[in-house]
Amino acid sequence: MRPWVPLAGAAVAVAVVAAAVVGGDDLLSGGGAHASGTVLEASIGRCGTGWTHAHPGAQTLLVRNSGSAIAEVRLVDRAGAVHAELEGLGPGVTRPMRVTLGAGEYALRCSDDGASDPRTGTFVRITGGGAGGPAVPAVSTSDLSGAVSSYWTKVTAGVGRLTGLTGTLRSAVASGDVGEARRAWLPAHLAYERLGAAYGTFGDFDGQINGRPEGLPGGVHYPGWTGFHRLEYGLWHGESMSSLGRVADRLDKDVRALQADLPQQRIDPADLPLRAHEILEGTLRVELTGEADQGSGTSLRTAAANVEGTRLVLDALRPVLRSRYPALPQVDAWLARLDAQLKGHASLSELSPLERRRLDGTTGQALELLAPVAEIAAPRRTS
Amino acid sequence: MTDRRSFLRGAFAAGVGGVAAASVSGAAASEAKEDTALRGFHGVHQAGVEESPLPRTTVVAFDVIAENRRELTDLMRTITERARVLTSGGVPDGAGITAPPADSGVLGPAVPGGNLLVTAGVGASLFDGRFGLAGRRPPRLTTMPTFPNDALDPAWCHGDLSLQLSARDEDTVVHALRDIARHTRGAAQIRWKMDGFVSPPRPSGTPRNLLGFRDGTANPAPADLGRLVWTDDGGTYLVVRLIRMLVEFWDRIGITEQEQIIGRARDTGAPLDGDDEFDPPRFTADPIGKIIPLTSHIRLANPRTAQSAGSRILRRGFNYDRGVDAAGDLDMGLVFTCYQRDIPSQFEAVQHRLKDEPLVDYVRPFGGGYFLVLPGVRDGGDFLGRALLA
Repeated sequence: MRPWVPLAGAAVAVAVVAAAVVGGDDLLSGGGAHASGTVLEASIGRCGTGWTHAHPGAQTLLVRNSGSAIAEVRLVDRAGAVHAELEGLGPGVTRPMRVTLGAGEYALRCSDDGASDPRTGTFVRITGGGAGGPAVPAVSTSDLSGAVSSYWTKVTAGVGRLTGLTGTLRSAVASGDVGEARRAWLPAHLAYERLGAAYGTFGDFDGQINGRPEGLPGGVHYPGWTGFHRLEYGLWHGESMSSLGRVADRLDKDVRALQADLPQQRIDPADLPLRAHEILEGTLRVELTGEADQGSGTSLRTAAANVEGTRLVLDALRPVLRSRYPALPQVDAWLARLDAQLKGHASLSELSPLERRRLDGTTGQALELLAPVAEIAAPRRTS
Repeated sequence: MTDRRSFLRGAFAAGVGGVAAASVSGAAASEAKEDTALRGFHGVHQAGVEESPLPRTTVVAFDVIAENRRELTDLMRTITERARVLTSGGVPDGAGITAPPADSGVLGPAVPGGNLLVTAGVGASLFDGRFGLAGRRPPRLTTMPTFPNDALDPAWCHGDLSLQLSARDEDTVVHALRDIARHTRGAAQIRWKMDGFVSPPRPSGTPRNLLGFRDGTANPAPADLGRLVWTDDGGTYLVVRLIRMLVEFWDRIGITEQEQIIGRARDTGAPLDGDDEFDPPRFTADPIGKIIPLTSHIRLANPRTAQSAGSRILRRGFNYDRGVDAAGDLDMGLVFTCYQRDIPSQFEAVQHRLKDEPLVDYVRPFGGGYFLVLPGVRDGGDFLGRALLA
């Protein structure tokens, strides 16, 4: 299948392709079977120019930014579903776009980082061929605003509950009764873990409230270590209750500061879809390995709280996912299976090796199914 | 085919393998040509038993965590489909904006076919009560016992499934394992995994193990495999033994002692009564072991008598090398695998003869297991274990 090269700009196209190969882009040489050689222009002024003889099947389109601004390029169909995208395509740069196209009408949609609205190029019609590759309608920032606000309302309520429970914990530590303090520690910590504070949701507050000793100079002996895990370490390693009073006071203070700061914080709509799998990625890495445990033996309770945190995200995104993600019922089913496996357990040491592997595998399967949420629901400019 | 969707996510473009092979250019094309030396995926037997061992391998045991028979069947279909796709090669489907990339990209955008052997088996534990298979355990499939010179670590023993992936290059092995694990997470988890390699001939002949001796010289001829290795339905029984070699200790004993322990000359691989690696040892001419000691490894393992002829096994040894022990000695040794029709009368008979051989001071078997390598996948509609699960 000799690639069809457009007459206009053919010399330019060949030069660009050659440069890309020399530059070490082995996608073009290694994927030679699919590189059509057709170069499509992508800029606000010339969006999709050069794509006149489209054909069905798996193929690599070469997309060149012929404008002077950094471009975002999407390949869309008549129904508005996005088949592929290139972000941050610099002026003069050509990059491959891999797609599988079935019968239908397709066009490029180009936007740049300037003020202009996205431009959709001329639709090309493809007839025959097998089924096309997967595609999904883009989610806009405004599509996500409802999800973000409902999520934030629930997080705010959760922080309210957390504040009450850290107050109770502070009093329990102050009473000097280690049993009472340990009993008060768990619900307060789980209230925090239910919030799904993955990857800096709460900025510096997360490190102060729930930091782990890894990476601190001296580890658990670092004087600046604060928060739930610091208190856990002390309560389960025989530290004096009077010395832990300061740790509990500080935790209480930091949680109140988080609560006071919350109205000023905002969540980037682009972050929410990422949380769908990031929370449980953390669970697998630090809870199911036992790394986070500082003596309480409650890793599995934390994991269950993280499942709730994941559901908080998923439920907020459900309106945009329902029509876009056919595997959503499977996500729910695997999270339910994970819940069932965690039920009644607190410590990893209660589990047999097979039970642990069952939990690891169920978490892994849930993660495989959650990961697409970040791609599907990432905000994209649509108009 | 639709059943496996719960674990099968993303697939390589159907039939693309042929297209890609027809049009790849330059270096890729010559490699593809060489690769056609390996057999295709479908056949009466699985690949990876008869073939000469490839330089890189991993032996992996899985615990099945599927909740029921239907999920186990999905798992076996998925492993079959991934093995078919991975051995055929092709361009992985793009996921567009609907998912992260379907393929790890470790082998580049077009996965070369033909440079991978996938061999899957089942362990006796799969036939406990979990999947309603208790009455269907092949009677000759048992759990590996502890032998007298063993120091078994339960974490390195047994498994519901075995999977061996072999290739010319390590990245091909890693790519395949990541792909299969990704597609089966909710149904199977790795119980243990040991990577191995086959050395090139030094300077010729059978590859050497990490004791410096040629290992695998006296394997049955291809014509004998039907009698010694394959079961009637096209499967075979696999024994895996993970054997640490105490190489520092070994390197501190004299060459004469080393050669008498093994029964062969280290340099040439010849039996101590011969000149060439492939000279047959003449034990009958040396009845009290003045030349090849009666306790030497080759004499105990294969006395070459009429009675011992039926206990011959197809041996495949791979070296492993995985770091340092608590005393600072290198942790390396042998991933011993062997194939046979019947483990008690073959591997176990050999193992019984080798009990307390002088070599045991220098090795430490710590893991492994018994598995039934399933019959081959006959065609596109067949899958591994279909007969067992039907």
